[in-house]
Amino acid sequence: METNIRFTHQALVEKCKTGHSSSQYQLYALYVDAMYNIGMRMLGNKEDAEDIVQDSFIDAFKNLPNFKYESTFGAWLKRIVINKSINHLKAKRIAVVPMEQHEYHLHEEPIEDMVAVDIKKVKVGIEKLPSGYKQILSLYLIEGYDHNEIGEILEVSTSTSKSQYHRAKKKLAEIIKTL
Amino acid sequence: MDNFEKHIRENASAFDAHKADRAKMWANIAAELKSDTPKVVPLWKSPLLRIAAGIVLFIGIAGFIGLSVFGPGAYGETQYASKELLDIDMHYKGLVSYHVKLVENHPKLSEADKAEFLSFMDDLDAEYEQLRLEMQKNLDNELVLEAIVANYKKRIELIENLLKQINDSKVQDDDYGYTL
Repeated sequence: METNIRFTHQALVEKCKTGHSSSQYQLYALYVDAMYNIGMRMLGNKEDAEDIVQDSFIDAFKNLPNFKYESTFGAWLKRIVINKSINHLKAKRIAVVPMEQHEYHLHEEPIEDMVAVDIKKVKVGIEKLPSGYKQILSLYLIEGYDHNEIGEILEVSTSTSKSQYHRAKKKLAEIIKTL
Repeated sequence: MDNFEKHIRENASAFDAHKADRAKMWANIAAELKSDTPKVVPLWKSPLLRIAAGIVLFIGIAGFIGLSVFGPGAYGETQYASKELLDIDMHYKGLVSYHVKLVENHPKLSEADKAEFLSFMDDLDAEYEQLRLEMQKNLDNELVLEAIVANYKKRIELIENLLKQINDSKVQDDDYGYTL
């Protein structure tokens, strides 16, 4: 079953590998909004998100012959968008992980249960998070990466990813309370 | 994963609120992909290759002129491959032409015998011409040189055999008178 998922849009992807432009547009149309939203979450502004998504599609189409269905095309493309976004933030010297080093905190402070929180409030709360918190929270909660993957993306250890995420979540809870 | 996290992940699509400007972004992507398609640049359009081709052409023309003016053919048919061959040729040529004259002018030889002998000599002449051309191609080819010498020797041997035959018949004629 998992194998079938990995081969989603295989026919389209294979046509794109040959440089078929209308297939490239079809694949682009399928994923552009999702990728643009990732760009917006990671970068926070329209212009940067557009630039990064455009570059990501260009890179993806150019490197498509190297795509061997080890993941879905969407997951592969998403990783390109995220990596480019992180590199962009680093180039602009914007923190991609919170500045506080929490690896020495042995006990994570419990966070008040936020089960019934309205999604709209969470969206607003994430927008208000400082840079670094916002990215790590988005990567875990919305993009669905685990801490090993986030560690690879942000080039930090898994424990750093965990502790910084915990801190970001705590901060989010505080912001939501004020809304 | 706590309930809050599960709740967010289950509603992750609710965070996709933005709509991309598809047409504008695609125009940029398509333009970039189009410009990146490998261009076929005709070889003659490359300045470097033009220069290289010019040099090759110049060398070719210069080589041709050089060979025509200073090359082996420049000294005409009498050009010999080496000094060694020239010496051998001079020696044997004189020897052969002397013997051929002898045969041609020999009063006791019939015209048929002379013609047969001279046809053999013509064959050897043709073989010699072949060898001489080979020699010009391979200046240091000892085998060709040996074959040329052998060719001359063969001619002289032919002449000697012919002269011996004439002399033998003469002896037989002379001896006839003494046979009882």
